[in-house]
Amino acid sequence: MANIIRAASRRDVLTISALSAVGGLLGAARVGAAPKSMTLMHESSFIPPYDAYIKTTMAQAYEKATGIKINYDVVSVGSLQTRVTTAAETGTGPDMSCVYFNWPYLFDEKLVDVGDIAEEIGKKGGGWHDNVKEAVVVNGKWKAIPFGNVGQLMNYRTDWFDEVGVKEFPDTWDGLLEAGIKLKKAGHPFGYELGHGFGDNHGWLYPLLWSYGGREVDTDGKTVAIDSAETARAVDFCREFYQKTMFEDVLGWTDVSNNKAFLAEQISCTNNAESILYIAKKDFPDIGKVTSQAQNPKGPTGQRFHILAPWSHAIFTHAQDVKAAKEFLVWLMDPKNVAGWYDIAVSYYAPFLHMFDNAPMWTAEPRNLPYRDSLETSHLPGWPAPISRQQGESVAKYVVVDMFAKACGGKSTKEVIADAAAQLKQIFKPA
Amino acid sequence: MSTTALPAAVYVPVPRRASGFRRWTEREDVFSWLMIIPPVVFLLLLVGYPLAYGVWLSLENRPVARAGTFVGLANFIADAHDPVFWQVVQNTFVYTFFATVLKMVGGLGLALVMNQDFKFKNTVRALMLLPFIVPTVLSTIAWMWILDPAFAPVNWFLRYLNIANPGPSWLGNAHLAMMSLIIVNVWRGLPFYGITLLAGLQTISPELYEAATIDGASTWDRFVYVTLPLLKPVIYIVTMFSVIFTFADFQLVYVLTRGGPANATHLFATYAFDLAMGAGQLGLGASVALAMLPPLALIIVAMSIYMKPNKS
Repeated sequence: MANIIRAASRRDVLTISALSAVGGLLGAARVGAAPKSMTLMHESSFIPPYDAYIKTTMAQAYEKATGIKINYDVVSVGSLQTRVTTAAETGTGPDMSCVYFNWPYLFDEKLVDVGDIAEEIGKKGGGWHDNVKEAVVVNGKWKAIPFGNVGQLMNYRTDWFDEVGVKEFPDTWDGLLEAGIKLKKAGHPFGYELGHGFGDNHGWLYPLLWSYGGREVDTDGKTVAIDSAETARAVDFCREFYQKTMFEDVLGWTDVSNNKAFLAEQISCTNNAESILYIAKKDFPDIGKVTSQAQNPKGPTGQRFHILAPWSHAIFTHAQDVKAAKEFLVWLMDPKNVAGWYDIAVSYYAPFLHMFDNAPMWTAEPRNLPYRDSLETSHLPGWPAPISRQQGESVAKYVVVDMFAKACGGKSTKEVIADAAAQLKQIFKPA
Repeated sequence: MSTTALPAAVYVPVPRRASGFRRWTEREDVFSWLMIIPPVVFLLLLVGYPLAYGVWLSLENRPVARAGTFVGLANFIADAHDPVFWQVVQNTFVYTFFATVLKMVGGLGLALVMNQDFKFKNTVRALMLLPFIVPTVLSTIAWMWILDPAFAPVNWFLRYLNIANPGPSWLGNAHLAMMSLIIVNVWRGLPFYGITLLAGLQTISPELYEAATIDGASTWDRFVYVTLPLLKPVIYIVTMFSVIFTFADFQLVYVLTRGGPANATHLFATYAFDLAMGAGQLGLGASVALAMLPPLALIIVAMSIYMKPNKS
């Protein structure tokens, strides 16, 4: 008898727990009920107060207004793409994530079309900067809401430039070369990343190529166009620039190297996001006082270019409540809410909404103004071709970076361009 | 209603029923299978499944977050036409060969020294393991500073002794970068060799040395004719492990150079990662990772032919 009762109760326990599990799933998927919480994933910011601000101030404000708790999930620098890949592949994890570069394209099918709220947010914010659409509009559909551009500018030491008689930051690459020759002689070489980092290498080499009139692939996104006289001139310039203003180490640099070298007063000029100036002001005030930033120099085409590095917010198709997530992004990007988040990072993230073109944040640190001005000439790696899977492969294989790096390492211009062209033809070959 | 009715609640051994089961489990053929099944299941789940999935992926055109299409060997053909792939092959062989040989020789030396009697022997033996214990990423970041041309003790020392000014670029020069990686790998891997070979040394009976000495063998003779032959099985195993780990190394390169300068230090694992994660091409990435298998298998087979101790 005892046996039967025990067995029955054991079976009951199993049944009840199974039912409650199913019930839990049903409950979560119930239509119409607002979720209790949502998760937004971000890479840890170089500006610590930026993460703290959304975690506490903004998330609390949103919970107060709607009852929905926002979990701000911070992942370490460099690991966001792996985490987004995992979330997209398994269909689990955070509801929303910050996305970079060509990710809206890469993860296209796993991201929600946010065209409706993009329009709404754009209208409220005075319209979007046009070129950010390169990164977030995939096959005519908005796959992410742009937040801000982490631009790359020339970072330089005003005192040392002054010492060699260069009062204004040179307007052309040739002018910069001339200044660099003097500065290297004075013991203050330049240092631009030519190794395999994530960003600083692409950050100056693509703009350099473009400003000489070179491009990887034509606007059709198929015809390889790297083998040109323009590319050859850019490569020749880069080799000379490297030999006369830098030192061998830059060939092996990753993204942290130039920050370290600049703050250790080893180099007088590099390209970087605002983190150098930000850290200098905070931890090395003497260096902070004599550090300034400028837009990239112009090439022989008379044009200057910058790398587009947008941080945007995307909603995964597996989000528990897409509507609630959209409502959150609309709230987040409402000028009166998002302004505080921009302000706390002191223009580290240049907004893509025209309403902020003359916002007070730009007067807080006038040395950051070039970040705003550089937006108009910023493009994704691979421009003017549209973003594509092949483009992503070219970046991951460092085709353009290594073309320049090999030339600096001593190979002939013809050889390095032929190498790059062969690689690109392999990558872009019709399937 | 005897005690047998409540087996789960109160454990009361009932000899007759249990003994049948126990006798069955204690049969040699049954018992051995019972012991083997858990690790086999474990291996199938954690090694077999990913490997099979990797093979499947490598045969697909599989962009991240999209459905794949079967393309046969197209990814491998693309690899064969990719100059970076061939550089990666070369790099991996150079890296594995030099790192393994240096670790083998150094590790043997280390083990021989550690096998002597000296003061604080146990402390030194424990300290020797440090490079192996410290998480690789942390120790590699330390190496990043050591190899930094401006701050580093190495170049400071060279400048101080007027040997070189400003000193070589350890990670910027293609050849030096590979050499630096090999040095760091050897530094990290030596303790593994050292401690394993030390364990092997201690199993060698002192009587053999005594006998050899009586027969007039010199120190060198004893090493060549007693130590080495008896140590061979251990050397074989430890080298096999080391080759596998070195061949598939990822962390060192990822932290120090990420494959730069200009692919001079890209290995199979880092290149596969860049393609699969960076470019979002899981199929192509898997094909590069899998391309590691045949050469690695060949090395292992060759090693087992030439190095395996002769049992007869």
